[in-house]
Amino acid sequence: MTVADTNQEFFAQGNVYLPHIAVIEKIVEETPGVRTYHFNFKDEKLRKEFTFQSGQFAQYSVLGTGEATFCISSSPTRRDHLEFAAQRVGKVTNALNRLGVGAEIGFRGPYGNSFPIDSLKDKNLVFVGGGIGLAPLRSLIWNVLDYRDKYKKIDIVYGARTPADLCFKYDLEAWDKDKTVNMVTTVDRGDDGWKGKVGVVPKILEEVAPSAGESVAIVCGPPIMIRFTFPALEKLGFKPEQMLTTLEKRMKCGIGKCGRCNIGNLYVCRDGPVFSYAQIKDFVSSEY
Amino acid sequence: MEQKLRQEAKALLEQNKVDWIIGFEPGSLKFTATPLITRDKNDTERLIINPFIVNNLADFLTGIKGRVGIVAKGCDSRSIISLIQDNKIVREDVVILAVPCPGLIDLVKIERLAGKDRDELDDISRDGDKVTVTVDGQKKEFAINQTLFDHCLACELPTPQEYDILLGEPGPPAPELEVSGQNIAKLKEALPAERWEFWQNEFSRCIRCYACRNACPACFCQRCFVEETEPQWVMPVPRWQDNLIFQIIRNIHVAGRCTDCGECERVCPVNIPLRSLAREMYGIVDELFSFKSGMDKEALPLMAHYEQEEAEDLFK
Amino acid sequence: MADKKVGKKDIAGLLEQWSQQFAVFAPSKESGVAAMAEWDGKDISFLDWYRNTVVPPKAIFLPPMEELFRFQKGKEGYNIEPPPKDKHKRLIFGVRPCDARAMAILDMTFEQALEDPYYLSRRKSAILVGLGCTNPCESCFCTSMGTSPTDQTNVDLMLIDIGDDFLIEEVTAKGKELIAKTSGLKGATKEDEAKAKQAKETAYNKVTRKLDTEGIKDRLLASFDDEEFWEKTAAKCISCGICTLLCPTCYCFDINDEMVKQEGTRFRSWDSCGFPNYTKMPMENPRQEKWRRVRQKVCHKYEFYPMTFNVIACTGCGRCIRLCPVNWDITQVIESVPARTEAKK
Repeated sequence: MTVADTNQEFFAQGNVYLPHIAVIEKIVEETPGVRTYHFNFKDEKLRKEFTFQSGQFAQYSVLGTGEATFCISSSPTRRDHLEFAAQRVGKVTNALNRLGVGAEIGFRGPYGNSFPIDSLKDKNLVFVGGGIGLAPLRSLIWNVLDYRDKYKKIDIVYGARTPADLCFKYDLEAWDKDKTVNMVTTVDRGDDGWKGKVGVVPKILEEVAPSAGESVAIVCGPPIMIRFTFPALEKLGFKPEQMLTTLEKRMKCGIGKCGRCNIGNLYVCRDGPVFSYAQIKDFVSSEY
Repeated sequence: MEQKLRQEAKALLEQNKVDWIIGFEPGSLKFTATPLITRDKNDTERLIINPFIVNNLADFLTGIKGRVGIVAKGCDSRSIISLIQDNKIVREDVVILAVPCPGLIDLVKIERLAGKDRDELDDISRDGDKVTVTVDGQKKEFAINQTLFDHCLACELPTPQEYDILLGEPGPPAPELEVSGQNIAKLKEALPAERWEFWQNEFSRCIRCYACRNACPACFCQRCFVEETEPQWVMPVPRWQDNLIFQIIRNIHVAGRCTDCGECERVCPVNIPLRSLAREMYGIVDELFSFKSGMDKEALPLMAHYEQEEAEDLFK
Repeated sequence: MADKKVGKKDIAGLLEQWSQQFAVFAPSKESGVAAMAEWDGKDISFLDWYRNTVVPPKAIFLPPMEELFRFQKGKEGYNIEPPPKDKHKRLIFGVRPCDARAMAILDMTFEQALEDPYYLSRRKSAILVGLGCTNPCESCFCTSMGTSPTDQTNVDLMLIDIGDDFLIEEVTAKGKELIAKTSGLKGATKEDEAKAKQAKETAYNKVTRKLDTEGIKDRLLASFDDEEFWEKTAAKCISCGICTLLCPTCYCFDINDEMVKQEGTRFRSWDSCGFPNYTKMPMENPRQEKWRRVRQKVCHKYEFYPMTFNVIACTGCGRCIRLCPVNWDITQVIESVPARTEAKK
């Protein structure tokens, strides 16, 4: 799937640049600075018919302030509403932060490709996440867990700087309780109450040492974590084709026109956001 | 002069007195020079001095790490001094290779005089107060004052006052100052409504390439106000109102730093007469504070210090 | 059917005739800079211009700024007001072959994947009337970039200077149809055609700047991580947007909102990969250093575009060389890219 396969039925008024209006239904404070927004389309027909796949993203706007890019962080298997998570870092995310339940936002999408869910079947899955980078992974994780018998072993290695920075704590708890999942949570710096692991994600990943055979690793986190996780996986015997990631870049159009989100010849919006390490390894060291 | 420059520049690198040399080498088009920024002593063989060394090389100083030997015309040297006064660079890190500058030739004026595109000209040469343009074997002579950039005609310091190595003899004082101000004088005579219309028209074609800002040694902010998003001072779209506000604020920001080097206007790809604004501000600063940027190396930076007795009116 | 020709002195009449049916654009300096502008009904001085326009004709299809849509905030929430339908049929007169090729290159981006309705609605209804160059500039290197001063490939009609007249070459069906409906044209003779052939050869030979692009894609790929090369290449660049914004094949844009009281507009406007903010994210910027941005500009045109569309996104128009404040010359840069074996990887 690429952006070319985007269902054009979902264009507002037939124009790819026009947003749909969506309403915020619930706001979850994940960490100081990170919020998850639950939302639904104002248009009833779209609310019923809209579909997407794990890994896809959208352009969200606070109209009058501007647009920003976030993945859809909820699972397509749970469609009573949609979710995205945003960290307060810039103009649009600050404006989002000022919105409350019931506020209207603009939505264009879904754009981009998705995790190759069919090719993950009957594989061991190793999810490696850092910080808010868990957002796209959790869409896939819930998707997978809702059809648990189709997949083999599941490891999740997730980390953040401090315990307070861990996002989606309710998910982490649920996965920790799930006997079919090996959930490892780590922080760079612990505090008095912290009982989990301490150390950066790539290092902990090497300790967990998931086997590379019949496995696919799915990685998402801050660029620095991604850069160090690939070599760690290579050490564990993963081949570039067995490593998937979803990348984040500054985007404006979301559809491969505005130019800025490329890594080499690939556009994150047009050819991604999901890439195998094999696709991007020529450029990722110095362009991401 | 060129030979001396090459020797001195080479020696500076060889003796490890500087890490970089910034000068000019021949450009890739006729009648052009291009900045040469190098650590390689062999490159110094390509250094040139001619009437086409138009860039204000001081622009590169804030972006470079290490000690620099820099070729400086009078205007460049004023910008260097201004940067030192603003603590953007340290005097000890700069070796000024001073060029007594007899003025730079404005190719737009030459094209107008010769009635030909620069590509069609065979040669442009200067001898004292005459400039000879050769087209199809025919020679045409023009007075130097017809061919120099406006800002050169207004130049108050052709030879750097502050330098480490002087290349050649100091030149004569500046030619006719008043010639440079013709456009500005015309604008000042116009009614406010006419002036407003004039600038509206001029700024309608601005494409926000920011060449004026990026070529300006006085525009050294790490982050320009136009790039601020919270608050957003001007819209980042090339709408004439926003373009005009951008340029006015830029002018205010470089007041007391602008040396009237004319780079803003020269680099503008859509021919906006930006020097008219810059020059007017330069005059206002002089009038209010008796201050000319980069002329006095002992001066305190105008906008970065405050004296109780001065210009109270401004703040009332 | 034999080619037609039109007298140079009859060009104003021809444009007048076409103005009945089209919004006619032609090169003009009326705005203060040479650009394509709506023809004013009389000015044909551009026929004597030595140079191409400073602002490329892409500005008609991808304007420096445009409204994507307007919106209002009311009691019932936001209302999105789509842009008015573009009803103009444009005829662009005097397009140079380099710029026509550039438009074909831009089409690839705006047509691929999801279509861009704003660009394409203007572009698809437009007729391009090319004007062959008789005096290529010192900065022109079109003949190295797959086109030539009189290349008719990417226009609907092509005019070739044959002295007192222009020979009109009918290139596309759209062009033929227009000529069939145009009155006052003369039939071209064998002699005219011979003159045109001669004019083409002469113009071709006047392009002296050459660029060898053989293997450039591979050389750039091999040099991608050669930081020393890129730092040297970028040293004198001042990171302004001239070479990109005014490049006929550059299309990057920005999208911004503005809201005054309850009324808002979403704009799109030209943007440049030369600006640090272009890729800046709140937490970090993958192209903070100047050399990374210069690398992107060069590689996008000579490596990435060929990888995606099998064509170099440069037509040799020379604007970037001519307009650059520091004479940063793309042809020198391309030639200095290390050969594969020399490149550090």
